[in-house]
Amino acid sequence: MPIDGGIAFRCAGLRKTYRSGETEVHALRSVDLSVRQGESLVLLGPSGSGKSTMLNIIGGLDRPTEGTLHYQDIELTGLSDHDLTRFRRRHIGFIFQFYNLIPSLTAEENVNLVTDIAEAPMPAIEALDLVGLADRRHHYPAQLSGGEQQRVAVARAIAKQPAVLLCDEPTGALDSATGVRVLQTLDRANRELGTTLLIITHNAGIAAMADRVLHFLDGQISQEVVNQTRIRPDELTW
Amino acid sequence: MVAALDRKLLRNLWHMRGQVLAIALVLAAAAATFVLSTGVHSSLTATRAAYYDRNGFADVFAGMTRAPRSVVARVAAIPGAQRAQGSIIQYATLDMPGRKDPVRALLNSIREDGRDSINRVTLREGRLPEEGKPGEVIVDEAFASANDMALGDRVEALIYGVQQELTVVGIGLAPNYIYALAPGELIPDNRRFGVFWMGQKALEAATDRTDAINTLSVVLQRGASEPDVIRQIDTILAPYGGTGAYGRKDHLSHAFLDNELMQLEAMTKVIPPVFLLVAVFLVYIVLGRMIRIERTQIGLLKAFGYSDVAVGWHYLKFALVVAAIGCLLGLAAGVWMGRAMTGLYAEYYRFPFLAYRISSEAFLGAVALSLGTAALGAIGGMYRAVRLNPAVAMAPPPPPIYRAGFVSKIGHAGGFSAVGNMIVRHIARWPGRSALTVLGVALSAGLLFSTMQFMDSSRTMIDSFFLRGQAQDLTVTFVEPRNEDVIYALRQIPGVQRVEPTRGLAVRLVNGVRSKRTAVESTMAGSQLVSHIDASGKKLELPPGGLMLSRQLADELDLKAGDVVRVELLGGRQTRTGLRVASIVDEFIGSRAYANERTLELLARDASPVGSALLKVDPADRQAIIARLKDMPLLLGISERDASVRLFESMIEDNLFTMLFFYITFASVIAVGVVYNSARILFAERAHELATLRVLGYYHSEVAIVLAGELALLIVAAILPGCLIGYSLAQLMTEMFSSDLFRLPFAPSRASYGWSIVIVLAAAIGTVLLVVRRVTRLDMVAVLKARD
Repeated sequence: MPIDGGIAFRCAGLRKTYRSGETEVHALRSVDLSVRQGESLVLLGPSGSGKSTMLNIIGGLDRPTEGTLHYQDIELTGLSDHDLTRFRRRHIGFIFQFYNLIPSLTAEENVNLVTDIAEAPMPAIEALDLVGLADRRHHYPAQLSGGEQQRVAVARAIAKQPAVLLCDEPTGALDSATGVRVLQTLDRANRELGTTLLIITHNAGIAAMADRVLHFLDGQISQEVVNQTRIRPDELTW
Repeated sequence: MVAALDRKLLRNLWHMRGQVLAIALVLAAAAATFVLSTGVHSSLTATRAAYYDRNGFADVFAGMTRAPRSVVARVAAIPGAQRAQGSIIQYATLDMPGRKDPVRALLNSIREDGRDSINRVTLREGRLPEEGKPGEVIVDEAFASANDMALGDRVEALIYGVQQELTVVGIGLAPNYIYALAPGELIPDNRRFGVFWMGQKALEAATDRTDAINTLSVVLQRGASEPDVIRQIDTILAPYGGTGAYGRKDHLSHAFLDNELMQLEAMTKVIPPVFLLVAVFLVYIVLGRMIRIERTQIGLLKAFGYSDVAVGWHYLKFALVVAAIGCLLGLAAGVWMGRAMTGLYAEYYRFPFLAYRISSEAFLGAVALSLGTAALGAIGGMYRAVRLNPAVAMAPPPPPIYRAGFVSKIGHAGGFSAVGNMIVRHIARWPGRSALTVLGVALSAGLLFSTMQFMDSSRTMIDSFFLRGQAQDLTVTFVEPRNEDVIYALRQIPGVQRVEPTRGLAVRLVNGVRSKRTAVESTMAGSQLVSHIDASGKKLELPPGGLMLSRQLADELDLKAGDVVRVELLGGRQTRTGLRVASIVDEFIGSRAYANERTLELLARDASPVGSALLKVDPADRQAIIARLKDMPLLLGISERDASVRLFESMIEDNLFTMLFFYITFASVIAVGVVYNSARILFAERAHELATLRVLGYYHSEVAIVLAGELALLIVAAILPGCLIGYSLAQLMTEMFSSDLFRLPFAPSRASYGWSIVIVLAAAIGTVLLVVRRVTRLDMVAVLKARD
């Protein structure tokens, strides 16, 4: 297992409260968590349980209302907007359920969006090759299937060789065969490159590929399961 | 109880308030300029008509050397003439206390019993001159107020070579001097020239014209033929040195006012349509975008049972409400500007009353134009909303499809970054909307340029007419043509460096059915003080024989070089001669004709008498020379070139700067309106992409480039078409603003191009920055949660 033992994220007493009209929504209620570098985590839980909020805060897209969050020795909770952007730029790769590709750019150019600004990226074509789409690099998103689009999104996320990959329902819009392909790529990045991997899913079947599974309920971690053995994505069933 | 759909309408309006305001402002500019120009036009027309009617402004005018008063009855008896009035007019030099500059008055005779029936004076203060009190005069209001004159004031005057003291007993104004010009001037100079009215008997005595007149005014019967009456008057007056009768269109005061009205009409035809065109575009793109966004809602409404008509009407109402807001703002601004402009007119045109009043036609016209424009812009969007099938509508719209094409090849060839490609491909993906943005900004720059060009135009006119065309310091005119002795006398005055005689003959030029009253002017051969400057700036010499015509006159008479024109001398021997048009000069002021001294002598069949003299003087002796000249008998007047230039410049500053201020505002409104709407639509459409870039680690400034870059490209692309539109618009406007009196030169300077571009760019860039600031407020999480 390529976990090097160092701590990637450490959070304590993390709370997030949204104001929605006149009511307060407690998205996170005091979450404590440590994630080791190179670890792979799956976050499970019903809608509104706080897992997306958790991922957004870890990725520097959102800020907690209370509590502290460190990435290695950087305290993210105290960073300015500009510094949070730099943090994302240097360390984080995101993958979303709906791909979020830029429709006016080809597959390769979508990957270039990241390689243009990253410090030590791999060539875009190499990233596309990793997801098996090198031959479709000149295609626009509208010319690709949903699965292919998501693989481009994965290529875009891994091209900068991020220390952390955050995936929010990466297979939610895909059929199972395509989903497995995407998960294989993520798994490879985690195993071979040592990328810390956090995946949100509704699909409990995916949990078996992770080192650790966190169950969210009502803004808290209700259960934590450590997998003694990780199953390869192609062996998963759902 | 507000219907649910109307409540939605109100919320849409509030939600899109920035865009709504931007469109409303463009429509407001259209309504304002429309109301301004039509309102001022109708106010001036109505005021003039009422004034003419109330004070009996004549239809036909005639001048003569001297005729017995009995001639008036003969003229009144001409079929078609309703009544006639004879009077005396006489120039006088005034000796204003404490003033060294030459001041002139035009004395008009007035009946002491107040029974004049034509060109009646409206008394503001005081009374009419009394019989038996020779020095009593009424002074025109503008001159009195410019010179702080009040009832009871006295002034020394040199009338017909005799010094006489005048006493102000009344202050008034008359319809034949709404625009009162000293001879040879173009702009009223209220300090140095005034119209006076003196009792008939007193003026007869002062000018040695007992029971005689030198001018005649006639009111025509309804439906009478003016040319017929003029012909008969000319016949009657021929033995008395008649200089040719003429109608209102050749009456100086009337013609200047007509010229102004024509310019206002031209303004109505050119300026508001530019704004209306931009407003159509804006409504079209904004409503189009709104309907794309509300696609699902439209589907839902239709599924609930709202009819196509109800849905279409809902969106039309949105456009109409925007138009109503714009119209209200425009009406208010138009009335405010109309008042300001009317105030300016009152400084140059002397009316007993002049109030800006918006006519119901102007009001309704503005409302109809605003609503019509908005409706026109809304048609495309409404059509799409009506045609939308509810089942299709409720599914999300397909994402925009991009394919490899010409633009992506450019991107590859140019080595564009991914962001660079995003910018150019988006422009190419929405070519129509991009083109409308370019066109809108270009129209704004064009409109501004066409206004700024008027400054250049006026400067060129001053430069060509005064600075390059005239080198004299003073122009001296005589009561009657003099012989050469007067030139020698003038040369003897210490400090006078050069004297050149000039002469003018009143003529009617006839070419087929076209004819024109004008003067043929001559200067001495080898003149150093007068130059005729062509449009290209070239100096033209007087032809050895035949006439040189100004372009204006040649066009009016449909003549070109080489043609023969019939020259009828008005007054004197009344000769009729055919003369060849030797050359045409592109002058800007007046319809003028020139010939050398010899040709004039042939026309008049006399040796060359001097009508006026041009003087070049030593600046150090200037005041002493003017003082000497003022004492010379039989001097009609002295005009100073520098004073004329100053007057012209101050008029340009007064009028053009006010106009320029309005138009800079208007052009900025267009630029801001177009760019703001494009930017907001762009921002809304690309919010998802921009948020994605932020998530990927792009800084605010880098994300802003996507937005600002596209707009900047479109704005820069608008510069060249803006200059072209400005060039054509300015040409059209100088053409439309030209009249018998002025022909505006089309002489755009580089500075005007530069300034219009700078001002429009500043407005556009300011707007872009305003919208781009929104990037900092992008909620990445919210945007990414929603699937497009």
